Amino acid sequence: MIFSLVKIEAGISGFESPAAQYKELKLNIDDLLIEHPNATFLGVANGESMNGVGIFNGDVLIVDRAVAPRHMDVVVATFNGNFSCKIFDGINKCLLSAADNYPPIDIKQSDSFIIEGVVTSSIRCHRPSRFINVCTS
Amino acid sequence: MYALVDANSFYASCEMVFNPHLRNKPVIVLTNNDGCICATNRLAKALNIPKFSPYFKIKQQCEQQNVVVKSSNYELYADLSHKMMNVIGRYASEQYIYSIDESFLHFKNYHHIIDDFHQYATTIRRAVYKETRLPVCVGIAPTPTLAKAANHIAKKLKHYRGVAVITNEQSRIDVLSNMAVGDVWGIGRKISARLVAQNIHTALDLANYPTGLARRNFSIDVEKTVRELNTKQCIHWDAVKSPKKQIYSTRSFGQRIFEKEQLLQSLSEHVSIVARKLRDQSSLVKYMTIFASTSPFDKHPTYKKAFHTFIAPTNDTSVMLAAVDHAIDNVFSNNVAFYRAGIGCLDLVDEMYQQQDLFTPNTDNGELMKCLDHINGRYGANTLKFAAQGIEHKWAMRREFLSPHYTTRWTDIPKINC
Repeated sequence: MIFSLVKIEAGISGFESPAAQYKELKLNIDDLLIEHPNATFLGVANGESMNGVGIFNGDVLIVDRAVAPRHMDVVVATFNGNFSCKIFDGINKCLLSAADNYPPIDIKQSDSFIIEGVVTSSIRCHRPSRFINVCTS
Repeated sequence: MYALVDANSFYASCEMVFNPHLRNKPVIVLTNNDGCICATNRLAKALNIPKFSPYFKIKQQCEQQNVVVKSSNYELYADLSHKMMNVIGRYASEQYIYSIDESFLHFKNYHHIIDDFHQYATTIRRAVYKETRLPVCVGIAPTPTLAKAANHIAKKLKHYRGVAVITNEQSRIDVLSNMAVGDVWGIGRKISARLVAQNIHTALDLANYPTGLARRNFSIDVEKTVRELNTKQCIHWDAVKSPKKQIYSTRSFGQRIFEKEQLLQSLSEHVSIVARKLRDQSSLVKYMTIFASTSPFDKHPTYKKAFHTFIAPTNDTSVMLAAVDHAIDNVFSNNVAFYRAGIGCLDLVDEMYQQQDLFTPNTDNGELMKCLDHINGRYGANTLKFAAQGIEHKWAMRREFLSPHYTTRWTDIPKINC
């Protein structure tokens, strides 16, 4: 009689999850907040003039250069060499703040002015982030 | 048709992206250790600041003329280059990234879709500027060499407004007649001098050079260039990047090194860089060179070199580190102010097809290296490293005028006034 040895595994394998085939991709916060990854940059808000639209000192701004700015969009403009976050009034050609004591800024021919991008969202960390110290300035 | 899209003074332009007040100032960028000038923006060019000259020679001029000086911020340039290439790549089905700031596009069978290449080039140029704030020039032509020539002219001659397209004989002649032969892609300084001696001055003269003579008098590569200038494509890209045959890592120090321990640390740093590159392309090194030198401008320049042969070829950092440790006494000597050091891997073999030695088994710990690369790939370079590399690098690259890493570090993202 011929015997052949067959190796039998006796380890524990457990049960396959009944949900295995329903698995979807995880939610990614970038998908929600960044539509054009190559044209988007992050900045940190510095000042109080945009409190009225919910942008506070230390908030992270997501700025998209690819979208066309529309009237009354929150934008980042380069105004005389500095980045400023303001509301773009396309009709009266001026930059508006969203707080008292900040008068509108007229855009004159002599100013160097360019809209850097549209602030598509802003992020506020209700607990201090370990990456950004919100109360820096 | 091919396009060559190339950024204008890329490093200087990158500095202006997140620092808008530099946009109307002359800006220069310095090389490693703030040694030489490697990029000048338009306004700095207008001041006749010579590119590639040592910074100390023009320091005074920079101060007098309020030139903004920046150290190379490679972290920023790498990120902005990546984004720029992504935007450019959107405009064709095939893209070949040629360098940090240049990219070819291949419009294969695009003549059905694009009837006006000039318009298309303008669209690319506008999109890149709008989305990345980096100015580029675009050259479009039937061959890569002509595309490169068109790009050159688009950059050089103002009235082209950053776009030059070669679609017919007239536009080809316009571009080539305005270009010196030495500026043609693939024509080096020596060949260019010989051509000028034969009364070949412009790119157009070269295009009219008989191909047979080009091969006989120069080389097959010059013949190919001549054909390319006459709209016959000769240059092709490899679909798959072939592995490098040699890998070097070398750098000058921010501060001269006099101590053996420090030289060993810097060499260990280079070993970790080349070993990583070897593993990335699945190669093993058989023959390694270890070198250190003083500056060539020193009174008594010294150059020291040692070699190591691995009987069992390796890409294990620790095995290579042991070899450097062994060789250090042949490289180091007292009372020498070392300025530069490096590691070269000269003889590489494929990991898959290596010939094993019966008496010297390979001692590489592949699993450990995989783990090391995985951790550093996920958490950033040098998260995990060998103790031999040292912790505090007194000799590290000097970058006195470094701008923030605006796009790669949370602490450095730009401040926006509200």
